[in-house]
Amino acid sequence: MLLFALVIAFCAYASVGFGLKGAVPSGLPVDLIVFAVAMLAAHLAIRRYAPYADPLILPLAALLNGLGIVMIYRLQESGRNGNPGLQVTDMGTSATSFQVMYAAIGVLALIAVLVLISEARVLQRYTYTLGAIGLVLLAIPALLPDSMSAVNGAKVWIIVGRFSIQPGEFARLALAVFFAGYLVAKRDVLSLAGRRFLGIDLPRVRDLGPVLIAWAASLLILIFETDVGTAALFFGMFIVMLYLATQRTSWLLIGVLLFLFGTFITAQLSSHVMERFTVWLHPFKYATGIGYQPVQALEGMAFGGLFGTGLGQGQPYHTPLVQSDFIVSAFGEELGLVGLMAILIVFGLLVQRGLRAALAVKDPFAKLLVGGLSFVLALQVFVIVGGVSGLIPLTGVTTPFLSEGGSSLVASWILVGLLIRVSDSARGPAPQPIQDEGMTQVVRAA
Amino acid sequence: MNRAILKISLACLAMFVLLLINVNYVQAFEAGKLASKPGNIRVFDQQFQYQRGSIIATGDSKDVTIAESRLIKGTDEYQRYYPYGKVYAPVTGYNSIYGNTGIEDTENSLLAGTSSQLTVHNFTALLTGKQKQGATVELTISPAAQEAAYKALSTSTNGHAAALVALNPSTGAILAMASYPTFNPNELTSLNGTTLDRNDNRLLRDPSQPLLNRATQMTLPPGSTFKIVTSSAAFSTGKVANPSTTISAPQPLTLPNGNLLNNDDDELCGDGNPPIIEAFYLSCDTAFGKLGIRLTAPVLRKYSSLFGMNRPPSVQTQAAESVLPEGKDWLDPSLTAFTAIGQYNDEVTPLQEAMFAATIANHGKLMEPYLVQQVLTPGLSVISSHTPAAIPGTGISSTVAGYIQQMMNQVTHNPAGTAYLTAGPPATGNSLTIDGKTGTAQNGVNNTGLNDAVFTCFVPGTNGGSSPIAVGVMVQGGGYGADAAAPLAVAVIKAYLAAHS
Repeated sequence: MLLFALVIAFCAYASVGFGLKGAVPSGLPVDLIVFAVAMLAAHLAIRRYAPYADPLILPLAALLNGLGIVMIYRLQESGRNGNPGLQVTDMGTSATSFQVMYAAIGVLALIAVLVLISEARVLQRYTYTLGAIGLVLLAIPALLPDSMSAVNGAKVWIIVGRFSIQPGEFARLALAVFFAGYLVAKRDVLSLAGRRFLGIDLPRVRDLGPVLIAWAASLLILIFETDVGTAALFFGMFIVMLYLATQRTSWLLIGVLLFLFGTFITAQLSSHVMERFTVWLHPFKYATGIGYQPVQALEGMAFGGLFGTGLGQGQPYHTPLVQSDFIVSAFGEELGLVGLMAILIVFGLLVQRGLRAALAVKDPFAKLLVGGLSFVLALQVFVIVGGVSGLIPLTGVTTPFLSEGGSSLVASWILVGLLIRVSDSARGPAPQPIQDEGMTQVVRAA
Repeated sequence: MNRAILKISLACLAMFVLLLINVNYVQAFEAGKLASKPGNIRVFDQQFQYQRGSIIATGDSKDVTIAESRLIKGTDEYQRYYPYGKVYAPVTGYNSIYGNTGIEDTENSLLAGTSSQLTVHNFTALLTGKQKQGATVELTISPAAQEAAYKALSTSTNGHAAALVALNPSTGAILAMASYPTFNPNELTSLNGTTLDRNDNRLLRDPSQPLLNRATQMTLPPGSTFKIVTSSAAFSTGKVANPSTTISAPQPLTLPNGNLLNNDDDELCGDGNPPIIEAFYLSCDTAFGKLGIRLTAPVLRKYSSLFGMNRPPSVQTQAAESVLPEGKDWLDPSLTAFTAIGQYNDEVTPLQEAMFAATIANHGKLMEPYLVQQVLTPGLSVISSHTPAAIPGTGISSTVAGYIQQMMNQVTHNPAGTAYLTAGPPATGNSLTIDGKTGTAQNGVNNTGLNDAVFTCFVPGTNGGSSPIAVGVMVQGGGYGADAAAPLAVAVIKAYLAAHS
């Protein structure tokens, strides 16, 4: 399966060369070979440290990452080295090498996760530590001056010299662990106490505390970092995990209402958020101004039509930021509806494998953690692909595995590491009972 | 907890299903609509990468390419080129980054190769590695007639705005479509942004409106040419039996509201009670004014519709509607008198003028005017081909058409006829017969403006054959229809017949 994914990436790479210059790129595709080695390393590490893990997760992630690297290579070459097209703004000449490097770092992080965390439960010990770390990571960009944190209107970065990271990507993982730990501890209280009203179980007012705190935190992100996407992911993840822990629909309802209310408030307060709504509703009215980017994305996707223009033969370079937030529009344009649907289905499969692991695993902490993480992966794809294709208002979040950028990629690989770890526990055999005259018996945790 | 996880799984499934539906909507369902959005930079850029189809004038025995895309030396980009510059500009229009007009606009998807009719061809081209190419559009235009029309308009109108349309009456094929002043479409195909911008601005701001195709977009009062419609209504309703029937032609005519209507130069029309044919070739306003009052406005409007007015023209280019509007007071008989002589609020295009003559020439049957004869794939297989058809709900009886033809014949052949000198035997010799009707529409406050000159005419079919050509001309502010407009039509007819003898 992994080989399959790698072969697809290599073929796509050759296809880019064909599309741009009419020949297979000369010279060794060093970047891709490094990538392939990293993926094989990940495979061996999984064999060694998580032998029972779901065998589909790594190939799916590798396929997405490989396609992302190929597309970044294609965009990097656009308008350079005698290739047709225009140069993509804000894109360096070695974007591909950097992306491959981040993929390698991501694989190292994945291996580290597998080695250090022998069982998901280990993380439960660090519930509050990780919670604190998550909040701090989330808050740093808001506290830094704009010059060190703002890019294109969203204040979500930590920029030091030439390096920049998006701490929110990692904060999301840390907070997922925190939520899982906290909710496992408190779920009985949260799910049992309360009153019934209109057929819905309402929680006690004081139990609303954590929800309100999460809501307030995401609102603060919205206001200080003008980043609706991250806020939606963060809040969505929390609400879903709360629902998973308590199984009470009222939490979902309360969560959705609070989110809509919060967005409404911020839309009134922040012109940036309001603008996104206006552009979503009438993109073509602002086609030469604030709607330029979404209009280019839509026209690009439409230009690709059913089968796409072929890699290297479209004009994705017209869309600003096509290498990061808008990379799906480049796939839509060059691989067509067929290619984009295939990519969405690969994402869907990855989410499904995660949820399957959550279903199968016994440990409630792991269940909650992986359920929440899988959902947030689906939500992230929904938010960005939906935003780019005009289904929902556009919010700037990265496309997992595909977008250019190290933070998102490394965080995605860590997420995959956690999925693999939990699927390994879920599918592995129960520890062998020690057959010592029946004196000791391992009781499987229910 | 598993029940909740299953529910969340369903939510995830729903999100992916929504995304899949939406990308299908954008990339398949809406793709065509998005591709035709103005300013779609990809579709426009693509035009330079593929060869846009040619436009060919096929009205004569020898085909003439009037628009093509040529490879720019040393690049792999194509540029649109119009080999005859201004001559065919009203027909082709232009294809520029700022938009398309004319045939370049109406046939854009075929010329650009994006039409669904070309899907199969494009797919085969993709598989065989051939380059994508637009379809070739073949027009009915006769190069001989078009060049004569261009020359006549640009040299013989004393700088007045004018337009001419020539039709084949038995098919509706447009043989010539000229407008003056006009523009050189090559000025709008420059790949240099600054040059293009400068030319575009200049043409747009030019007060003489060179970009306007007056042949189908300028509407002027038809003047006395409308007497064709008034006479048809009179014959068809039985108010007047035949061309010899006398009608009342007082000088002056006192209108119901007390105002007076005078003939040109206040001359008496015949003996004051002439046969309608005499009133027609002398073009007496009082006779037809009075006839109009008897017929009433709704009847005139009905017969104007039978000549193709009061409906959006279906000709394959941008065109204005020729109308006899049901405006305020339009039923007032005093105003109907003016409607009947084409001087109230009826307004027509030069195309409509040609359609007046074509209806008579084709024995009362009005054929739908058209420009595109057929469309061919780059591999020269026919995608679509025009079948001539009458415009539904139009036309008059062949008897009435015969009467009108007799009367139009006298306009050019009776020495007292208004166009005897300019379109009759003195101008055409004895071998060529042209039947026509002049119009001189007064306008401006109290008729102080320059008169618009109008002429509509046709060459009748010989020995029961079909008429080869009908022409409508309008010269804005040109003066007398017989003097300013008729010679233009004669020049085009002579050139066309010479090329088809």
